[in-house]
Amino acid sequence: MSQAWIQHTFSRKRFRTRNQATALAILGVAILLILGSLYLSQVASFAITNRQIEDLIRQRDELKRQNEALIGEIAGFRTVPRLFARAEAIGFRPATNADIDYVLIDGYNPNRDRISVAANEVAAAEARAPVYDETFGSWLEQQLVLLRDQFRSFGA
Amino acid sequence: MQRMSSQQATIQARLPFVALFLILMAAYLIVNLANFQFFPRSVRQELEKIGASITNTTLRIPAERGRIYDRDGEPLAYNLVQYRLGVSPALVSDSETLMKELAAILNIDEFELYRKITSDRVWEFVAGPISAEQGQAIAKLDSISLGLEEIPKRFYPQGELAAHVVGIVVDDGLRGALGVEGAYNDTLSGRVLDLSVSNVPFDLPQDRPAEQRGQDIVLTLDRDVQFWVESELKAAVEAYSAFRGTIIVMDPRNGDVLALANHPSIDPNSFLDIADPNLRVNPAINETYEPGSLMQVLTVAGALDKGIVSLFWTYNDRGFLEVGGRDIWNPHFQSHGTTDISSILVNSLDIGAATIALEMGTENFYSAMRAFGLGQATGVGLFAEERGELRIPGDTDWNESFLGLNSHGQSVEVTPMQMITAFSAIANDGIMRQPRIVRRVINEEGAEDARPTTIRRVISAETAEIVKDMLVHVVEDGAPEARLPGYTIAGKPGTARISTAVAFEEGSNAKILSFIGFLPADDPQAVVMIKLDRPDGDFGYEIAAPVFRRVAERLVILLEIPDDIVRSRLAAAEAEISASEG
Repeated sequence: MSQAWIQHTFSRKRFRTRNQATALAILGVAILLILGSLYLSQVASFAITNRQIEDLIRQRDELKRQNEALIGEIAGFRTVPRLFARAEAIGFRPATNADIDYVLIDGYNPNRDRISVAANEVAAAEARAPVYDETFGSWLEQQLVLLRDQFRSFGA
Repeated sequence: MQRMSSQQATIQARLPFVALFLILMAAYLIVNLANFQFFPRSVRQELEKIGASITNTTLRIPAERGRIYDRDGEPLAYNLVQYRLGVSPALVSDSETLMKELAAILNIDEFELYRKITSDRVWEFVAGPISAEQGQAIAKLDSISLGLEEIPKRFYPQGELAAHVVGIVVDDGLRGALGVEGAYNDTLSGRVLDLSVSNVPFDLPQDRPAEQRGQDIVLTLDRDVQFWVESELKAAVEAYSAFRGTIIVMDPRNGDVLALANHPSIDPNSFLDIADPNLRVNPAINETYEPGSLMQVLTVAGALDKGIVSLFWTYNDRGFLEVGGRDIWNPHFQSHGTTDISSILVNSLDIGAATIALEMGTENFYSAMRAFGLGQATGVGLFAEERGELRIPGDTDWNESFLGLNSHGQSVEVTPMQMITAFSAIANDGIMRQPRIVRRVINEEGAEDARPTTIRRVISAETAEIVKDMLVHVVEDGAPEARLPGYTIAGKPGTARISTAVAFEEGSNAKILSFIGFLPADDPQAVVMIKLDRPDGDFGYEIAAPVFRRVAERLVILLEIPDDIVRSRLAAAEAEISASEG
């Protein structure tokens, strides 16, 4: 059996050997091209997506910065000396004890706790936070859509 | 055929060697692969580091410092972004255009700019700190030769308001000093991260970790109360030509510091411009003084609580007393004859306080003073709080005269925060609450409230009630300048001469005048301490008591404290509601 195999391997059938080699080479190149194009398209997809994510991060940071600046501006407008001066300018004056009347309301207990604005902000932020609900199916679907879009863009 | 069989024989003879060689090579590779997987951790990390150094860039990301709010959520400290601009001259393609564009944005000299842009150096600093708007305008130029580096900047929108409480940051905004910024630096500062960022375009960009950010802090301060207190303090310091002044407002029921003001104050936004080192400390907690006759209240309360004296106790005041070789005199050098315990406080009689201290003895007296927190930091939550100094028997520099002197606030060092905390304990039925400046800490997981903490019961509720009544009499008969129509006020003025290392300082204004009072006396909701250093005036009831009244006038409006008549009607209505619900 082994002798037949060695004989077959070293038999001088040049024409057939070249045919096979060429076919194999073409097949190899074709497979490499397919794999390469798949790889490149995937890499391009990653690079584009990452660029988009980087842009979004940059945008978010810029929005955060603008938000901080706005908070500062609002805080500046709401400083007590400024409010005081503004109120005086439009004719108000600080209340004295004589200006205040306490009215007792039947069944109402005025000894309540104050609600902090800061705590409300945190609660609101928690409520706004998105929930992660991606499944493997939806991810696969998303990848297929991306791949299809890329092929379309190559064609265009 | 013969030749073929000989070739086959040769191949057959060599084949095992080739196969063996290939097997050995494969085994070698497999062993090496396996070995690579089981490298020691340090070697693996080193290899990973080498790999990362080729593909990654390390960015130092400063943590965003937590914000500070007042009790109603008004920001007292938050962050702005500024930039530092640098240029790589070798990468500049059109120096003249870049110079003109930058000069227009930065408003700086074109010649200087051109010199930097065309420098021979690899990297040249151009300008900084520059504003966020300028930074964004430069970023839009999209020049590869320019580098913008973020610099965090702490901003205090309220300016001087509560500056000593909020504090400041130093070291490029990385380290807090003074106030809450200093005391809660670890909470506020977050973590500075060295983030390794991949340069490979298809590696996922890394976002800043959320847990890196510092935690936000909500203070117990009420911004409106703080503003009015600061206004009144400034007016008082100027009116009485005082060297400086301090006012603290505390809620005795939970220890919340509602306001803490010093004048002169600082603007934390331009802290580095302040040349006077005296302004860089908070006198309310960082400096001590001799409290003077305010201490008489603590002496009387301690003696009553320990049963050494009773309400019916009297002594013969001859206007002079010698204790341990030191002479003690009353104000105005008067003698009062047979005097009861209440009159000691009303007339601020140093001899009466010293007589009580002598009757208490050193053990009872000093244990009472320690119970009131003298010689111990209050733990209010501000940077570098002083403990004060209460020398006790056994200390090398204590002698018998100290018992008489300490009883009326001489030769003892306290901080204003310690004194108001001690008086708050009396106001709060004898229970001392831990004074606190931080009300809540907010992090990514939510808000965490700082619960009011009880330090100890200092005196019994009965004793506290008796002392409160005495302090009402003090205001009615001894310091009418502190009275507020419609409200029952309890309080005590204090007058302390400033002493040097060897004797009392000479001079008409070498004294510290103070007043501590609380209102309403039957249900105290606010304790106020006024302290004026070196004012033009002789006694606390003349100078500090009127300031207390003006502050109290505002407090009852801002804290919504109804007058005595309304409160009694309210109490009756509440009792009715409770009865109907119960």
